[in-house]
Amino acid sequence: MRILLSLGVLSVMIAAAHAGTLVGKLDLPQTPASPQVTKGFLDRSENPFAPVRSIDIARQVVVVVEGEEKPVSPPQVMWDLVGESFAKPVIAAPAGADVVIRNTSKVPRTLVVKENAKLLDPGPLNPTATKSFKATDVGKSFTVGDKDAPHVVGHVVIVNTQFIAYPDESGHFQIDNIPPGAYKVKIWYRDNWLQRPDDDVNVSAKGKTELNPKIAAAAFASPAPAK
Amino acid sequence: MFLSKIWFFLVALAAAAALTVALVMPRPAQRQTDGEEKNRLGIACSVIDIVLADNARTRVALAGSFARAPKIVSALESASGAATLDESRMKQVRDVASDTMKGVSGHGPDFAILIDSKGRVVARAGLDENDFGDVVAGRPLVDDALAGYLRDDIWAQNGTMYLVSAAPVLRRDPPVTYVGAIVLGNKITNDLAKTVVNGLDVDVGFYLGNDDVASSRTVALDHAPMIAALGKLSGADLTHDCRNDNQFSMHAGAEEFTAVVGRLPGEAEAHQAFFTVLMTKHADRGFMGTLKAVQKSDVSFSKFPWLVVVGAFVIALGLGIAFMWIESDRPLRRLADDAVKLAKNERERLAEDTHGGKYGSIARSVNIHIDKLGRDAKSARTNLDQLLGPAPEGSLGTIDLLAGALPAARPGGSAPAAPPPPSDFKFHDPAPGSRPSAPSPAPVSAMAVPPSKPMAAATGLPATPVQRPHATPPRGSQTPPRPPTPAPVAPPTPTPPAQQTQPLHLDDDILEAAAEPNVDPYFKQVYEQFLAVKKSCGEPTAGLTYGKFSEKLVKNRDDLKAKTGCREVRFTVYVKDGKAALKATPVKEEA
Repeated sequence: MRILLSLGVLSVMIAAAHAGTLVGKLDLPQTPASPQVTKGFLDRSENPFAPVRSIDIARQVVVVVEGEEKPVSPPQVMWDLVGESFAKPVIAAPAGADVVIRNTSKVPRTLVVKENAKLLDPGPLNPTATKSFKATDVGKSFTVGDKDAPHVVGHVVIVNTQFIAYPDESGHFQIDNIPPGAYKVKIWYRDNWLQRPDDDVNVSAKGKTELNPKIAAAAFASPAPAK
Repeated sequence: MFLSKIWFFLVALAAAAALTVALVMPRPAQRQTDGEEKNRLGIACSVIDIVLADNARTRVALAGSFARAPKIVSALESASGAATLDESRMKQVRDVASDTMKGVSGHGPDFAILIDSKGRVVARAGLDENDFGDVVAGRPLVDDALAGYLRDDIWAQNGTMYLVSAAPVLRRDPPVTYVGAIVLGNKITNDLAKTVVNGLDVDVGFYLGNDDVASSRTVALDHAPMIAALGKLSGADLTHDCRNDNQFSMHAGAEEFTAVVGRLPGEAEAHQAFFTVLMTKHADRGFMGTLKAVQKSDVSFSKFPWLVVVGAFVIALGLGIAFMWIESDRPLRRLADDAVKLAKNERERLAEDTHGGKYGSIARSVNIHIDKLGRDAKSARTNLDQLLGPAPEGSLGTIDLLAGALPAARPGGSAPAAPPPPSDFKFHDPAPGSRPSAPSPAPVSAMAVPPSKPMAAATGLPATPVQRPHATPPRGSQTPPRPPTPAPVAPPTPTPPAQQTQPLHLDDDILEAAAEPNVDPYFKQVYEQFLAVKKSCGEPTAGLTYGKFSEKLVKNRDDLKAKTGCREVRFTVYVKDGKAALKATPVKEEA
């Protein structure tokens, strides 16, 4: 038993020793101000002291690196519900992974998957409790929301890889432990793939491979409906 | 009567028109009242919208002033740089928030939430004060505030609603940076609802779906019509919800309301948040309701045209009376006067030409009948003269045959069929068949007396005295019974050829008879009439006994029957040449 365990750890260490890292920065377009989702009795007004902030696109972007290899031993994807929103408004889950939604807020939520209401168990998701569903269909995306709080919305996309990155506010991202080889870099924004050619990248066995995808504003346009 | 009829028609038409107007007039007034109520409700709803918007403007301004408070800015700047938030920081910031809230004059916010730039709650004051560290970023109001916007919203949570406002908190010293946001909230309460409708004379209620939140008046309303009305609202502009055509009726017990529903904006809209403005519905006035609503001042001389009304009434009444007098009363009086003159024998006929219309027709009809009676009398007299000849001097009188003057109760056949020629018969002559109650002092032309029973009752009369050329002795028991009573006065018929008249003289021996054997009522009646007429003519009646009189009548009757073959004989008393006379009329039985 000990021998088997030792062999396993050794193989992982050997694999890691032969894995690369993909780093980069998304070159995002200038974004407009965030749209007004709801309106009170009055229209919102800008403060007189500083320009208003624009939409934080990077928070809703997922960088996905897909290669020939299929995800092995799919991990569990933890998705936190914090207060009035998801910690990550958009996530990507490898095919076969369990997507676990954890309520870290202090209020119960009644979450529903818009595309498939049976995907999540009915009933409220109490504080500190979890609910999960299995990601099976590659390429499919789901919208999870609280029917009592329309502003609580999250998107999840099922991908055929386990190499996923979430850029920070400035667009920087990093994916570690990528086996060397040729990959395609795809970018998911909210509920669709960006309308742009995929980036090809060769990840080297050692060191960091840098990729700075440039994204035009037109890429955020909704895709044409399939004929 | 034409004008009277026209006038009555016009008066009835005016009355019907007045009644129609009285019944219809309340309807336009009711419609106008309903329209005014609808307008008032719609205006009140719009005013409530304006008041709420104005309230939101005040709250946003207050949030902005909170956001500029130096202590709050520094507290949030410090919290935004911290990786984690602890309780001591929370309490420190909460105290700052509480102090700031206390500094607000008037009705300040019920709670305040201080949020760092990461969207974490640093502290709460006034509501859930011990909760902190949770992320409220994601709520549209908070996201907008963190992005630099000032705005308002309505939050629905725990079965109630909050009017909230938010403002970004910035460090204004260079470099200007966003350090967080502040949210202020006011709970929607009954007091707030009363404030909103103050002076509008309406009530308002705030609802979250089927749940009551607050209202300006405690009334149990059925939510179904409100939810139904809410479901019909559409469009992004919520101010259009107050349109009059969105109004509906609803009940609360016996009280009826007109109501309108308005959607509440913001986050709460997803929770079916709405407000209802309601106004007590006035009962339909109708005719009686309008009458009850009349006030004393409404019928005062200064406001009501009494002179016109009274004048119209007097004119209508005067015209009606005038038309009746002209067309009815006056002609009737003339006719009555004319009839009285006719009765008094001051004139022989009614003056047809002086009576118009129906009254002239009545006069003509009366005159025609007078003429007919005269002709009947003349015909009868002619027949008598032909039959009997003139009465001799000194006799009691003459018995004529008067076919057209049979009494109504006279037994026997009907009157002759052919009408007699015109005569000078007068209207005041006794009608044929009538039975005079007393002798009239005026000259009597003819008096028909009907027999009442068969002539067999006169069989006991004594023998006829001398000087009775045409008389025959009484036949006593051989006298045939009196035939059946003839028909009442009938239209004159031609005298049959077989009918003849036979003169009869009553001699003095009749007057000498004293005994009165069996009394025939008919003969007795004729006797009494004859006696009365003689007296009226100033003739002596001493010695004229019933026995002799009836004996003479029986004899003459029998002779006449034998001569003419008639079935019955009738006797008529009349005056001839100033003396009482008697006529016998044979009556031939009708086939």
